[in-house]
Amino acid sequence: MHAGIDVAGVKRSFGAVQAVQQVSFTALPGRVTGLVGPNGSGKTTLMLMLASLLRPDGGEMRIGGIDPVSDPAGARRLLGWMPDSLGAWPSLTSREVLVAAAQLYDLTRDEARARADHLLDLVDLGALAASPARVLSRGQKQRLALARALVHDPRVLLLDEPASGLDPQARIALRVLLRRLAAEGRTILISSHVLAELEEVVDDAVFMVDGRTVGTDRVAAAATRVRVWRVRVPADVARSTDAVRDDVAAALGRTAGEVRVDRRDVLVPFADEAAAVAGLRSLVSAGLPIVEFAPAVGDLEHAFLDLKTDASPASTEGAATPAADPAPPGSWQPPAEGTNDGSAS
Amino acid sequence: MNLHRLRTIIGIELRQRVRSIGWYVLLGIFAVILIALLSLSFAAFSLTTGGSEWFFSLVIMLVLLLTLLVSPTLSGSAVNGDRDAATLAPVQVTLVTTSEIVIGKFLAAWISGLAFLVVALPFLVVATLAGELNPGTIVTSLLILIIEVGIVAAIGVGVSAVIARPIFSVASTYLLVAALTVGTLIAFGLGGAALRTETTTISREVDWDAVPLGCDLSSPSTSTNCPGYEDLPCVESSYVSEQPRFDRVWWILAANPFVILADATPPTYVNGNPTDLFSQIASGVRLAQIAPDAATSFDGCALSRGSSVESYPSTEQRIAGTAPSWFVGLFVQLLLAGALLAWGIARTRTPAKRLPPGTRIA
Repeated sequence: MHAGIDVAGVKRSFGAVQAVQQVSFTALPGRVTGLVGPNGSGKTTLMLMLASLLRPDGGEMRIGGIDPVSDPAGARRLLGWMPDSLGAWPSLTSREVLVAAAQLYDLTRDEARARADHLLDLVDLGALAASPARVLSRGQKQRLALARALVHDPRVLLLDEPASGLDPQARIALRVLLRRLAAEGRTILISSHVLAELEEVVDDAVFMVDGRTVGTDRVAAAATRVRVWRVRVPADVARSTDAVRDDVAAALGRTAGEVRVDRRDVLVPFADEAAAVAGLRSLVSAGLPIVEFAPAVGDLEHAFLDLKTDASPASTEGAATPAADPAPPGSWQPPAEGTNDGSAS
Repeated sequence: MNLHRLRTIIGIELRQRVRSIGWYVLLGIFAVILIALLSLSFAAFSLTTGGSEWFFSLVIMLVLLLTLLVSPTLSGSAVNGDRDAATLAPVQVTLVTTSEIVIGKFLAAWISGLAFLVVALPFLVVATLAGELNPGTIVTSLLILIIEVGIVAAIGVGVSAVIARPIFSVASTYLLVAALTVGTLIAFGLGGAALRTETTTISREVDWDAVPLGCDLSSPSTSTNCPGYEDLPCVESSYVSEQPRFDRVWWILAANPFVILADATPPTYVNGNPTDLFSQIASGVRLAQIAPDAATSFDGCALSRGSSVESYPSTEQRIAGTAPSWFVGLFVQLLLAGALLAWGIARTRTPAKRLPPGTRIA
């Protein structure tokens, strides 16, 4: 038994609603594991069960080898939980919130105060230590909630949407902090639907669709499927993007219909990475001035979108995602907002 | 039960109370009403001397009424309010136990209710002295007020852990307080009347039919044939009636906070009769404990022939030996409050198997 999280066959329903149907995964110590899934896929319910707040209807869970159902106090000593809904006693100051939380973990008053000051510095809320939690912004409340989850130096961290509401600077700080906490040997499970941001921090990913974890084989299969790459050439007022598209298509030996234009970029599907490498080589040798050549969507997003299509009704499943044969043009749909994130890296 | 964690929970609750403006507004209104009440009573009773005991014991009753009206707002949304504000779950994932959370909230609500009693204390003292009530009244009424605030706090916290929506749990707490104050009175009256038993009344009367015709007892010795008054026979008649059995339901009325206050206060009797509202109510409840006789007799025959009548016992004598009803009443209330707290703890326990309908745990 390791110090991470083990979940096997966990399920939980609320009345007739099957929130979590069949979830199995392992999160290892020293690694950040992302919990990825659409809204309503059961991520928060799973987090609540791991946090020993909700009793599963079936299945086994272990937090550092301890069953949170039979020994909640033992599990609570090990785990730090940051909820998705921000709750802080409105009239208590940030410092008082942390001192109170530390005291509830049996720290003495002096230890609790020292710990609170340390954590306020860690999440960069030192200037707001004496402000009531009521006046904090959403992002500041998020950071306070993170500090509260860390108050008893937990070995396992359960973070439910920790980055929502954070500004870019705070996000970078969170990423650095999470990497550091993982490097100290902690197990970190983090849920988010902002995939681009999750991608920057996670080592492993667990995909959840409709209350079920998706098998690693399916995830691996999704990752190897046809993928769209973004090709950018320097902006040139003299040439239209359509002309650039024709050049790219010609260099790759494709028809113009297989290659799409997205604003000033050209989007080209490749079956796998080897094909992309070959494609880039032929573009360069054709003399095209390539400044950017990258997947249009991130790895997680690619796998996630692919799995979501799988989860659609069975009648369309076969037609929508043929795993083996190269997808016909038009079967891939770069999401309208996701394209920018994907090309940024 | 870990005292350090319990103290932390109480500290969190109290600090929020002390920092909210609404709390001071409530205390202020409470004080203004008491000042108005007391100054009006002084104005009204400055004319007469004596007889104000009844009125000033009513003033102390009103302090209890106001306290009962304020208390549910302090506790009625303790647990579900936190769940709504998403501050309950972060506490539940710490090492604090569910019992510590619920009992901590109960103690915090109790302590904050005591602030109202601190405001009320001067009024209690003034009312007792002005009404020339038994000085022990100050101590007992204060003690009973402290306990009643605690009981309402326990009821409120328990209900708030059982009912999901804060607005309904506060309303339910008010309804329970209403059940204790008004409901017990109605249940006592209706219950006593519903549980009737038969009573046989046997009466002996002089048999006036035995007087022969032509005789007139009012003018004796007209004829030797006429019997004297003493010679007339007596006849016995009996009839059956139904009596309400308040002795079987008196404990319901005993659970009334006002009855507890009245009965716990040292009684004052003059010539065996109560002299203030407390003693009056207390003697009423004590009398209700006495079962009606299954058979009563009335001997009009002996009475009319000059045998001495036993004097009726005074109220004070009749209630001697009855159970102190405040003790029973408090026991009933403590049972209710304790049961609600236990239910509340059971419903708040984590990992939760069942959630109150329409709630999220976090």
